[in-house]
Amino acid sequence: MANLNVAIIVKLEPDFSEGNVSYNADGTLNRAETKSILGPHSAVASNAAFYAKVRYGARIAVTTMGPPIADSALQQAQLLCDADELHLYSDRMFAGADTLATAEVLRTGISKVEGKMDIVFSGHRASDGETGQTGPQTAWKLGFTFLGNVIDYDVDVQNRTVRAKRMISLQGFYDVVEEVEAPLPVFIAIDPSYKASFNTVSQRLAFEKYRKEAKARAQDYKQYLKVFNAQQLGVDPKLVGLPGSPTIVYKVERIPKAKASRKAEVVDGASREQLAKVAAKMYEVLGGMVIK
Amino acid sequence: MMENYDVAIIGGGSAGLAALKHLSNLGKQAILLEAGKQVGTKNISGGILYSKKPKNGRTYNVEDVYGPEFLNDAPLERRITQYMLHSTSRNKVFTMNLTAAHEYQANFGYSVLLNRLNAWFARHAGESAERQGGGIVSGVHVRSLSWQGEKTLIETDELDPFEAKAVIAADGVNSEVAEMTGARAKFTPEQLYQGVKVVVKMPEEIIEQRFGIGQDEGAAHLFAGDITLNHIGGGFLYTNRDTLSVGAVYHYDSLMGRPAEPYALVNALLKNPMVAEFVKDEVAVKEEIDKNLPKEEQLRIRFAVSKLLKTRNELRDAWHSPAARKRLVEGGKYKAEEEIKARLDSVQNELASKYRTKFVTDYVELEYGAKLVPDGKRCVMKKPYFKNILFVGDAAGRGVFIGPRIEGLNVGIDDAVRAANAVARAIDRNNFAPQYMGEYYGQSIEESPYTRDMKEIDKDYLKIFLDASRDVPKDIIGQRYGMVFRLMSSGTLRGLAVGFANILGYDKLLPLIESEDTYVQVPVELAEKMGRPVQATYEPTLPTVAQRVAGLKYDDDRASHIKVLNSKSEFMKRMVTLCPTNCYSMEGGDVTLQHEACIECGTCAKETEWRHPRGEKGVVYQYG
Repeated sequence: MANLNVAIIVKLEPDFSEGNVSYNADGTLNRAETKSILGPHSAVASNAAFYAKVRYGARIAVTTMGPPIADSALQQAQLLCDADELHLYSDRMFAGADTLATAEVLRTGISKVEGKMDIVFSGHRASDGETGQTGPQTAWKLGFTFLGNVIDYDVDVQNRTVRAKRMISLQGFYDVVEEVEAPLPVFIAIDPSYKASFNTVSQRLAFEKYRKEAKARAQDYKQYLKVFNAQQLGVDPKLVGLPGSPTIVYKVERIPKAKASRKAEVVDGASREQLAKVAAKMYEVLGGMVIK
Repeated sequence: MMENYDVAIIGGGSAGLAALKHLSNLGKQAILLEAGKQVGTKNISGGILYSKKPKNGRTYNVEDVYGPEFLNDAPLERRITQYMLHSTSRNKVFTMNLTAAHEYQANFGYSVLLNRLNAWFARHAGESAERQGGGIVSGVHVRSLSWQGEKTLIETDELDPFEAKAVIAADGVNSEVAEMTGARAKFTPEQLYQGVKVVVKMPEEIIEQRFGIGQDEGAAHLFAGDITLNHIGGGFLYTNRDTLSVGAVYHYDSLMGRPAEPYALVNALLKNPMVAEFVKDEVAVKEEIDKNLPKEEQLRIRFAVSKLLKTRNELRDAWHSPAARKRLVEGGKYKAEEEIKARLDSVQNELASKYRTKFVTDYVELEYGAKLVPDGKRCVMKKPYFKNILFVGDAAGRGVFIGPRIEGLNVGIDDAVRAANAVARAIDRNNFAPQYMGEYYGQSIEESPYTRDMKEIDKDYLKIFLDASRDVPKDIIGQRYGMVFRLMSSGTLRGLAVGFANILGYDKLLPLIESEDTYVQVPVELAEKMGRPVQATYEPTLPTVAQRVAGLKYDDDRASHIKVLNSKSEFMKRMVTLCPTNCYSMEGGDVTLQHEACIECGTCAKETEWRHPRGEKGVVYQYG
């Protein structure tokens, strides 16, 4: 019996990496031509959950709302975190959902995960929506303490508390790291800069063990997969999909290209005098930073 | 609470992994620390892996450690069934068939690429170790060892310190464990070879045609003579499944005497007409894109050509590989094997007609690498242990290199089993004292047939070698050796002579056996007088060292793992020439280091503060 229960909410997103993404002539995303993968922030959240598995032997559930093909996001997340349970919430009724309606589905889904939930992880935001609201809204609906921008955490399993470091970025100020402690359960939105570190031999060995297990499980992921429709979840139709969404996407505009504020000059590198001029210019601008 | 383990193995090469596997087989818990991000990324060998069956004593072979699965499943390249020695002089080659010497007391010898093979070893050793509560921890670099009572405190760059009761040092020829503990001095140029290797791409069935070998066979070719550029050592070419390993191995002191760039030595080999013909292939050369075209169009062409070339190379490899052809047809992508050829032809046509790609005769290098090789007969550790540390393989300076006999991997594996046995026995008695564990290991190592081979001339091996050179006119061997050869050609006299030689001392005879005469002059004369002419049909385009370095993968570390101690010493000045990746240069009167291109061979280790890079950092070999 696991003494720590963890869930992750993830999202299947377009693969924005080079060579994979494709745009229409008007600058909007060509969804048919672009592959979908587990979102990069969801991957960070999965890594954060995996830390709990390696350190505390946590039981992990990965959940997502989306079309049937979103199960591939669950599989990819399982590969990262060695999940014990995969949930896909899929129903035509959920189409057109905004963040609040999505949070309602996720909240209901998480309540169906085995065991009493201790920590729910989300990414920082989605790479296609960029709102960063689904996490906090799910936390609010669950009634869990919300910890955002978390870059590091540890759990005191005995005393049922979590200690987390949060990165606070204020425009114009230096970044501040805030350390907080909260009783479980909590909702953690993980910062993109999060990187798990395993500092002892036994942690490294556990890491390897679970990573191998994850590989085997992910190959066989359907065995861990549970698919729920609206009825099976028992959600209120008024709170999900388009009817449950107080906001809609009204219009997407291209961000106008900013005018170049820097001047560039092309220098012929073949001539020594020209190079000397460049060096002189660099010295003028950078001063003592220039290395001989 | 500090973590505590019975055994820590330092270094995940073939010896360290064999120690882990064998200890786990014996039911003991052991952990292995490897600096590379993954096992195999730091390893490089020539390389042939042997399994031996000596007449006297026994060796612990790779298949004894990993079981029958090794021969069924391990990623072995080719079983070497031909072993040839070529004496070269310009365009003449005299060939001796040494297959009998290769098969001498051998169960088998396979060509291998260590990246793949060590990954396989790691999987099997790792799984066995996990069952005993141990395992492999990669990306960890050991920084220091100290003792707290009888236990060793191990500090790394990455993890919290922990303790071990016994340590197996398998950290290679540049063993930091040996240096940190003072168990042995750094090896000197007299004790080492420097080896440089390139992996050459070649489709499977072309290799078989070229070398006259079957699907399950392989060829090894050794070279001596003018390709050595007058150094003591030689060249080699081994066939792998769908690549060739081509390399040059030279005695380090010979290189110190008259410094030659390591890549020049491998280039001399590649330029030899016989080798050039061995490595040649049909290579696609891209046409320069017209710079007057609009930028978008240039980009489009570049992408299209790269994509077509990738397809072409994949299809061509598949077309020349029975297994790949079968896979493609069974996978349903092609209805019949001929369709693969048709598709290949159409892609090549498209490249030629639409993008003016040319198909020329040349060769393709995939990877450049280098390593130091301990010359066992000169540097084997007399006492391969220190306190509770047992040294194995290269770390203990163990390898059998006698003329055409080149064995290192099997020696390391044999050592590893002996070390594991000693450690297991120590665990049972909870006695890790050097008098109990170290001496037992030392004794076992002393009994190893490989140790004998590092100390004595084996008259039976010598006979095979002499039989192979029966056709060589005695006058070429020269007056000096004529006498020796006459003595050696009679059975009784040979026995006496070898016996006498062994009493006299192997080390005293070495300068006579391994000289410029035997490695250079005699082969050159042989080739000139008896060789057959060989012609190259093309001139290989040899990459520069910069291009070779650019083809390697690195995880860069900003901080250098090497510190130059004396930037004006004669030794360091030699490094400007001898570093295989040109990391050293002269500025004013000082030798300066740029460590980024370092491939961690240790050539410069003797007079530098030399560490392996931190965990995961440094070179990442793809073939090895």
